[in-house]
Amino acid sequence: MVSAKIIKYSPWLLHFNTGACNGCDIEVLAALTPYYDPERFGVRLAPNPRHADVMVVTGAVTKKAGERLKRLYDQMPQPKFVVAVGACAISGGIFSGSYSVLSGADKVVPVSMYVPGCPPRPEAILYGIVKLLSKLDGGRDE
Amino acid sequence: MSKVLDFLRSLGLTQLESKQPRRYVFEVSADRLREVIAGLIRVNENLYVSAISGVDYVSEGFIEVNYCLWVVDEKLMVILKVRVPRESPKIPTIYDLIPGALNSELEVYDLLGVVLEGNDRLRRGFLVPSEVASQGLFPLRKDFKV
Amino acid sequence: MSLIEIPVGPQHPALHEPIMLRVRADGERVVDVQVVTGYNHRGAEKLGERNTWSKDIFLYSRVCGICNTVHAQTYTQGVEAIGGIEVPPRAQYLRTLIMELERVHSHILIAAVMAEVVGFDSLFMLMMRDREPVMMLKELITGNRVLSDYYVLGGVRRDIDDVKKDKILKVLERVEERVKYYKKVFQEDFTISRRLRGVGVVKPADAIRSSLVGPTLRGSGVKSDVRADDPYAAYGEIPFNVITYSEGDSLSRMLVRFDETLESIEIIRYVLNHLPQGPITIKTAVRVLPPGEAYSRVEAPRGELFYHIVSRGGDKPYRVKVRTPSFHNIINGVIAYREANIADVPVILTSFDPCISCTERVLIIDEKSGSVKSLRLKDLSKGWLGGS
Repeated sequence: MVSAKIIKYSPWLLHFNTGACNGCDIEVLAALTPYYDPERFGVRLAPNPRHADVMVVTGAVTKKAGERLKRLYDQMPQPKFVVAVGACAISGGIFSGSYSVLSGADKVVPVSMYVPGCPPRPEAILYGIVKLLSKLDGGRDE
Repeated sequence: MSKVLDFLRSLGLTQLESKQPRRYVFEVSADRLREVIAGLIRVNENLYVSAISGVDYVSEGFIEVNYCLWVVDEKLMVILKVRVPRESPKIPTIYDLIPGALNSELEVYDLLGVVLEGNDRLRRGFLVPSEVASQGLFPLRKDFKV
Repeated sequence: MSLIEIPVGPQHPALHEPIMLRVRADGERVVDVQVVTGYNHRGAEKLGERNTWSKDIFLYSRVCGICNTVHAQTYTQGVEAIGGIEVPPRAQYLRTLIMELERVHSHILIAAVMAEVVGFDSLFMLMMRDREPVMMLKELITGNRVLSDYYVLGGVRRDIDDVKKDKILKVLERVEERVKYYKKVFQEDFTISRRLRGVGVVKPADAIRSSLVGPTLRGSGVKSDVRADDPYAAYGEIPFNVITYSEGDSLSRMLVRFDETLESIEIIRYVLNHLPQGPITIKTAVRVLPPGEAYSRVEAPRGELFYHIVSRGGDKPYRVKVRTPSFHNIINGVIAYREANIADVPVILTSFDPCISCTERVLIIDEKSGSVKSLRLKDLSKGWLGGS
């Protein structure tokens, strides 16, 4: 099993919106711009799931998007991690209980880090990703 | 003054009061809807379907569909209220007359079960997840529990 | 004929609702586009029926984070109409202020996304950088960058003082300068011209008939803007121009937004310099409403936003219907793809300012050989069909 440490200095992100209001998405987007300098952590967007290390999930996970979420997760090679960004991805947020929503990313995929907020600031999102990476120092395999 | 309002009044439709300025509400029966819409376009082609909003009046036994049309050059909104029985809600389609009505008709079918007769593109699952649609349920009906 | 399916895996940074476009093409030419929806359906209309009138302000703001204040406006003004609630003038002006700031950030965002779609990554980054001060201003006024949660029934939550007013004016000077520069880039850059000029032309009559709204409609020369035609908040008292461009192509739609952004900055200046004195909210909170209906319209950055609200008395809505501008523009806007090439599809879609997550991947199924290739939307946009 490959040690998760190999992604520590260049984590490539896969961002998936599972039915969000876009509030979190534009803050994820902002976090990827030079103003917040994500590249000092080696963070950048992956061109497709097969190159991704960390999946960033936003949105309350609608039932239709939930199937896609699982598929995307399965397409990612090991080591892989999921970060749930925003109240909706954590628990469904204000849409929790709706007939068309699964209420949280961890209903579909294993989540390693939760970044709360509605939406969380770009700094908070980056912090969540960096914190996840620093946990890898213990050489935890996934 | 307003070609559109003159036309609607000439049809003998019941006009309802509205608290808001620039909103004119009329009751139309389902079988007259196409006649009214076609006439409106003839009188003024600069209007569009802003929304088609369906409301389930479960205790009264009917579904009321509000056709909300914005008349661009006259700067007013015409609302046509069409009532149909809940047990068999059917209204003739208008999307051949106004293409912009298509998406709204698809929505009111998928969420409330109103059948737009003549609309060949109607289908379940336009918005509603398949597990709800496959049970023949319409989420915006009042007897659908969240 | 090769069938190209653009699936949804929203991996593109500028995110909105996941949606799928099914593009059928003959070689390079687009023959047909269908839109498949449902990925973002969260059941907000049904959820609204079980919350109180005030709680629903929070819910409906989250239909769209990018334009959450206009959702709050459309909802609250409808409820206020039913309840006969009069909003104090100062609050109306503050509401106008925050909505115009939102228009500025939203328009810069879509312009940045368009830059990215045509491959101009550095322009995308620059525009995102120059958008950040606007987000900071939103936080200054409402306490949060994106979701403002600024509205209450009958007013707004926070006031501004002269210190904040001066800060807003100062920051906007620099934003205005940058927006003028970016507008010039869009007008004069060779690549952008080639990719946007004459692409996705929509004639005015078609635009009206298909319920296209907002800059998409005004980019086809139709002078229709809810702020001017159906005034709400403080717009009835504020002089401003409705922007139209007549060419009806993707460039026109973008230029409408640039000019609107500059116009918004002027509106904000007017608001700040003419802020009425007085309270920012009504004295007693309203919990129960009389029966009644409201048909509420607001000019969101993407176009006309519409709410139909029904009260049958009580402390909860009987029905709230939300019709977003993108519902019309994206689904009915398929008419714009008629004469286009495949590479034009992402450009045309972006020019509508879609509230959808741009997809990343495209599946190309060659019907003859049965081979399936997967490409990035960016590559598709560059016209590359990939090797075998």
